[in-house]
Amino acid sequence: MNRWRRSVGELQARRQQVTECEQALAALSKVTACFQQMASSLGSNTDGSGLREELADIRAMAHRIYTGLHKRLITLLTEMEQRQEDREQVERLWVLFLSSLETFQKDLQKTSSLQELFPLTQRRDRSTLIKTGYSGGSEVAARAATVQTPWVSGEEERCPDLQKQISRMDSLLQEMLQTVNVPVWTVEATQEAWLEVGKEEHHDDETLEDLMQVEVISQDSTTTGCCHHLNCRLGCLLCLVN
Amino acid sequence: MTIRSNRDHAQHYRPRMTCLKKVEALVVEMQDSKSGVTATEQKLNVTTIPHVMTGQDILAWIANKMKMDAEEAQALGTMLVAYGYIYPLQDHKKLILKPDGSFFRFQTPYFWPVQKWQAEDIDYAIYLAKRNMRKKGTLEVYEQARYNEFHKWLNPKWDFIVMQATEQYRANKQRQKADRVVFDCQERAYWIVQRPPPRAHSALDCMDRLVDPNDETRTYDHYRRTTIYLQQAMARSRVKSTVSLGALVKYINTYKNHDPFLAPCTPSNPWLSEDDTYWELNLPTVEVPTKMRVERWSFSLMDLFNDPRGRKDFKLFLKKEFSGENMAFWEAAEDMVWGSAASMADQSQTIFKTFLIPGAPRWINIDGRTMGLTVKGLEHPHRYVLDAAQTHVFLLMKKDTFFRYLKSPVYKDMQKRAIVPPLHNYSDAQVEQNARNRRPGTDPILIWQQLETERKAADLAGKPVDISTIKNKIDRK
Repeated sequence: MNRWRRSVGELQARRQQVTECEQALAALSKVTACFQQMASSLGSNTDGSGLREELADIRAMAHRIYTGLHKRLITLLTEMEQRQEDREQVERLWVLFLSSLETFQKDLQKTSSLQELFPLTQRRDRSTLIKTGYSGGSEVAARAATVQTPWVSGEEERCPDLQKQISRMDSLLQEMLQTVNVPVWTVEATQEAWLEVGKEEHHDDETLEDLMQVEVISQDSTTTGCCHHLNCRLGCLLCLVN
Repeated sequence: MTIRSNRDHAQHYRPRMTCLKKVEALVVEMQDSKSGVTATEQKLNVTTIPHVMTGQDILAWIANKMKMDAEEAQALGTMLVAYGYIYPLQDHKKLILKPDGSFFRFQTPYFWPVQKWQAEDIDYAIYLAKRNMRKKGTLEVYEQARYNEFHKWLNPKWDFIVMQATEQYRANKQRQKADRVVFDCQERAYWIVQRPPPRAHSALDCMDRLVDPNDETRTYDHYRRTTIYLQQAMARSRVKSTVSLGALVKYINTYKNHDPFLAPCTPSNPWLSEDDTYWELNLPTVEVPTKMRVERWSFSLMDLFNDPRGRKDFKLFLKKEFSGENMAFWEAAEDMVWGSAASMADQSQTIFKTFLIPGAPRWINIDGRTMGLTVKGLEHPHRYVLDAAQTHVFLLMKKDTFFRYLKSPVYKDMQKRAIVPPLHNYSDAQVEQNARNRRPGTDPILIWQQLETERKAADLAGKPVDISTIKNKIDRK
């Protein structure tokens, strides 16, 4: 069909779909990041049934997003003709979606084995949780809860339990790699390297390094350096002052 | 297709899963509030972070629990830190357990070193991007180099990396300050372990892995092959260690004076004294060999054959005895083994005509069965078709001719003539003078050419001694 013959409405609808997919990808990214942050406290002293429920909620949200996004991207990629700029953008979204799913699947696998390693079925299991210094709190979960799918929800299935979700994701990834022929290397990054340096606003002016520096000084100011010699400021291996 | 060149059946990788599981059990016990290491709090500016331990407490607990002395406990503690189960708060790059008041904390299980979840480059790239976001210039030189590499190699996924890093950073910022510090410390410790700075010793180093240790797909074929291998291993004949060690001791005692590391080279080691007399005296084409060399020939027939000078001497002896056909056959078989594939057919024909058919000019006396096998094999000649006959002939020579050679006047004469070069003891100044006066070494090509001409001459000279002509001579007499 000639481009000129397409109705303006179709073009607009398509463009809207593409932006919807981009928003969905951003949302998926947000959700998976929150998931990862919370999964890192599995097995620690803040672990509990509350944390695991929150993780399940986030998982379900992610499931909704990525199943919808998968459907939409597939339709976008299969229905098209050779329109250059659109095709590139959709392929880019596809590749980013693929990597997002792979990372999320790894996190799910880690979560699954951690939950097996630290079962919370009995009271005394709580004593096996590693004391890592966390004090817990569900701020990250709250952040994840603010994410919404950019389309009207309603047509998805219920989220499966963890194992099933992992295996379904496996088959989803396989299917994705086989149905649409999008070579990964053709996508180029839109961002230059080092662009994100210092981009985020810093509410506090301290970085981790500064904090650590403070910590060293406040603990014990006499034992900088490897040995207790007054002039020693070197790391242990190079110390010749002895 | 991967070429697997080792035969140790997946023992090549270092399966640390079992070791790590035990370590994990130990760590779980360690952090128990009642019976574990005592934990205190760490004070930062205004916040306190709980669950911090001092190095000496950890050490004392390990020594007490595992009933070891301080040194072993130190080693075990350092192992825990090096694997990443505990991380130091001060001096985070040096992964050892300091037995003093420095602080350590447990690593969250999400960041434990488990072989199933390899630390992927994408995660590392996300981590580096996150570090970048915090403040400018926090990456070390090697990290910057890796970052640039990732931007090149992971370019298609770069947008995802930056997006994910941003989101993770923002999610982390939602936390309370103390938790944020803890998480940042944990992540940093994890990546120090998984991607150590250059020239740092890493506990996770392992040799090349040919088989993925977590590969769960054990097919029927794999088990069948393993079973066959194990059955063959069981059926192998065994030697008692006393016997094998005795053989080893005997070998060492025989050869220890000839080992260039254990005994000094006479006259002097050319690499040390810059004087190449040693090499001159031990050339393959030398007329009078050294005493050590001659002594070495008496150790075994293989030693004799491996030395070209020794072979020459042996052939001289055989010529006197008129029993050179065994040696000639052995050499012909060696030529076939090492020869070119094109000449295989011709060589096999000549050997057959010269040595194997009954009534041949140099007929070798091997038993019927071997002869039959060899003749049959010669219909389709390949490199090793004469292997059985060659071994048989070698054994004949070893058991009979060799000992006669050692007792013969040829050998005894050689022993008398052999020279014992005096030991040079060069001083440093003389060594330098030698270095200055050093001649260029003999070109190996020239040596090879010499050997070839000599070999041809020897072939002509040692041509088959036709029994018929000698008989004629004797008859005439």
